Amino acid sequence: MPEVAIQTQNLTRKFGDLTAVDGIDLQVTAGQFFGFLGPNGAGKSTTIKILTGLLAPTSGSMQLLGVDFAANPVEVKRQIGVVPEGMGLFERLTGSEYLKFVGRMYGLDRVTTQRRSEELLDFMQLADRPKTMVADYSHGMQKKLALAAAVIHGPRILFLDEPFEGVDALAAGALKALLARMTERGTTIFLTSHVLEIVERLCSHVAIIHKGRLVAQGSLEELRAGISGEAGTKTTLEQIFLSIVGQDGTERPQLEELSWLM
Amino acid sequence: MADVTQSISLLEQIRLVSALRWRILRNSLRKKNNRLDLIGMIFTGFFGGILVLGLSFAFYAGAYAFLSQGRLEWMPLLFWGIFIFWQIFPIFVAGFGANFEFRTLLRFPLSLRAFYIIGLAYGFADFSAIASVCWLLAMTAGATAAKPGLLPAMLLIVATFMLLNVTIERLIGSWLERLLSRRRTRELFLGLFILSMVSLNFITPLMQRYGASARPAFLRLLPYLAWLPPSLASRSLATVTRLQPVGFLLNFVILLFYLVLFSALLWRRFAAQYRGEELSETAAPARATVRPIAAIHDGPDRLSLLSPQVAAIVRKEFRYLTRNGFAYLTLLMPPLLILIFSMNSAGWHLTAGGRGVSAEIFFPGMMAYLILILMAPAYNSFAFEGRGIQTYFTAPLRFRDVFLGKNLMLVAVLSAEIVLSLVMLAWRVGLPSAHTLVATCAAIIFTIIGQLTVANWSSLTFPRKMEFGQMRGQRQSGMAVLVAFGSQILMGGISAVILFTGNWTGNPWLPAEAFAFLAAAAVGGYFASLDALTQLAEKKKEGLIEALCR
Repeated sequence: MPEVAIQTQNLTRKFGDLTAVDGIDLQVTAGQFFGFLGPNGAGKSTTIKILTGLLAPTSGSMQLLGVDFAANPVEVKRQIGVVPEGMGLFERLTGSEYLKFVGRMYGLDRVTTQRRSEELLDFMQLADRPKTMVADYSHGMQKKLALAAAVIHGPRILFLDEPFEGVDALAAGALKALLARMTERGTTIFLTSHVLEIVERLCSHVAIIHKGRLVAQGSLEELRAGISGEAGTKTTLEQIFLSIVGQDGTERPQLEELSWLM
Repeated sequence: MADVTQSISLLEQIRLVSALRWRILRNSLRKKNNRLDLIGMIFTGFFGGILVLGLSFAFYAGAYAFLSQGRLEWMPLLFWGIFIFWQIFPIFVAGFGANFEFRTLLRFPLSLRAFYIIGLAYGFADFSAIASVCWLLAMTAGATAAKPGLLPAMLLIVATFMLLNVTIERLIGSWLERLLSRRRTRELFLGLFILSMVSLNFITPLMQRYGASARPAFLRLLPYLAWLPPSLASRSLATVTRLQPVGFLLNFVILLFYLVLFSALLWRRFAAQYRGEELSETAAPARATVRPIAAIHDGPDRLSLLSPQVAAIVRKEFRYLTRNGFAYLTLLMPPLLILIFSMNSAGWHLTAGGRGVSAEIFFPGMMAYLILILMAPAYNSFAFEGRGIQTYFTAPLRFRDVFLGKNLMLVAVLSAEIVLSLVMLAWRVGLPSAHTLVATCAAIIFTIIGQLTVANWSSLTFPRKMEFGQMRGQRQSGMAVLVAFGSQILMGGISAVILFTGNWTGNPWLPAEAFAFLAAAAVGGYFASLDALTQLAEKKKEGLIEALCR
């Protein structure tokens, strides 16, 4: 039986009266490239924050690689890498200093930290600015550095919140190849993105969250099977997404209301 | 086909911008911390109002007295006072202004003319401008009360002077904005600014020493000031009083010339902004170069006694310290302050007046003052972490390691500063007796370690984001300041009681023994508090992340 990387039971998070995450039961198998989708404000970032320890759940429980997060957070965090919303960089360090800092925070020895930092900076094409502080990096460069920091300790689960936003096509291609290679070697990747084409191309499994509730979960094939498309054509993830999220008819704004614009 | 927008009037644009600023202020008050800040703003506003009103009476009385007694040579003082306040004060209060980027308005369909006029109108909304306008109006009332016939001329001169002042103030602001758009320049400027403020303390001793010889040079400079706007405004008024129309015309035309000149310069600056002047400093993408991986030197780790996490945080804190111009200045302060205070009033190395304070009092007093200054940032120790704070919660470590790393760095810096200050004190004032020296050193350990526990709690409970090298919007949380103040008063009070008891009982070693006991208790309490603070960090993490990731 395949190892379960992420498992949640009735995971709930409330902000006052608002229930941002409403009783989610999530299951991600180790080695999956998992896409977590949802419209704006659906609860994607809140879920990822809970799963990475940045936010405490109001109720429910979760296990990562079979370890209960609440009981042993340090052990769980050792196994995961995160690119959080806003990237979480220390802007007054250079790229190299930041990677070395993160490597040491994850308990790597100095030699390994230095070697991996330099390899990652080269791979991310950030090595030509050794003295530039992160504050002076462009958005895309910061994103690449955040990704490098998330993988420096060789995590078994990688959480990526909008990882390709602001990254140029060249770097994005290299990153996708790297991530695909990581999943081949058993790393589980949990990714949120608004770009459905990217998710469709990279992910083997997808979950869709809507208004805090998990409304679909499974492999792309399983989700396609649940949607009736035109005969002879392959249903795209966008069609699946729209049919699930917009099925109550209230989600898609009526263009007739904007007649003055047309 | 979409509707085409109609252009709206200038007044409507100004009204919209004012409403926008009001809504930004009102919405910011929804947060509890901002509501607490509002109380501070109301207090500041109240005292500011009293200051403006009081000085309005002074300007009224001054103008009335000078004109009714025919002492017109004193009038320039009033105009110069207002001019200097109007131009200098905005720089001082930059940190307390509402955080609103005027240039963001450029996305809307404004004409350059409208942009220029809205820019000037903004200038009149500053505290310095409102106060100065009040004082100029008070002067006008005083002048009219003394000589009613002066009213039209006074109104003309005052209106021109106001317009000139607001134009210069906006011009300086605009130049500064351009100058400070680069981070390094911004930090350098902030450093120089603070250093110049500290240097003001040297004025008294320097005046005492060189005042007499500098006076002739200053007097030679005075005639040149006569051709600057405040003197011209004053002379225009004097010539009207003396019924000299040619003199009035000459002075007023020069004043107008200044107005036209500065308006043209301001128009040029605003036009550059209007055209979309790029002030960003973000690094442009560069072609990546293939670089061989450097040889790895696994030299001895100077922090090998610490856990990797604590050592990493100490190193990070050290790097942050070396890249923070403001922190550098804070470190420069202790020896500088010892120099200033010892020049003014201490010890047997007297420079003036024979007002000596013995090393027995000066030494502990100076140490207490230094701790007061150097410990203040510890009460908001995550201020400069920004979004990086998330790393502390996603990394596999206990939060006690974060505090240990941060506190170790702070204690190391404080130790270096105290040793440096001791050397300075020995040079300038001399060392105190052995029992005072030992008691002071033990008291230093007690007050620093004792405060660290409270400061760590305050950093978690009242976090406030701050940016390096920026003045605008850089305020500590009001509650953190109160906690720091209360804790320092408590520590100071305990220390004073112990010192007094030593003096009263006639046992000179009693304070040393008492402080040594308290220092040991403080160290024990500090380590005992770390686990409780780790739990608190877990509870407070959402607020902490929200406050620092904005």
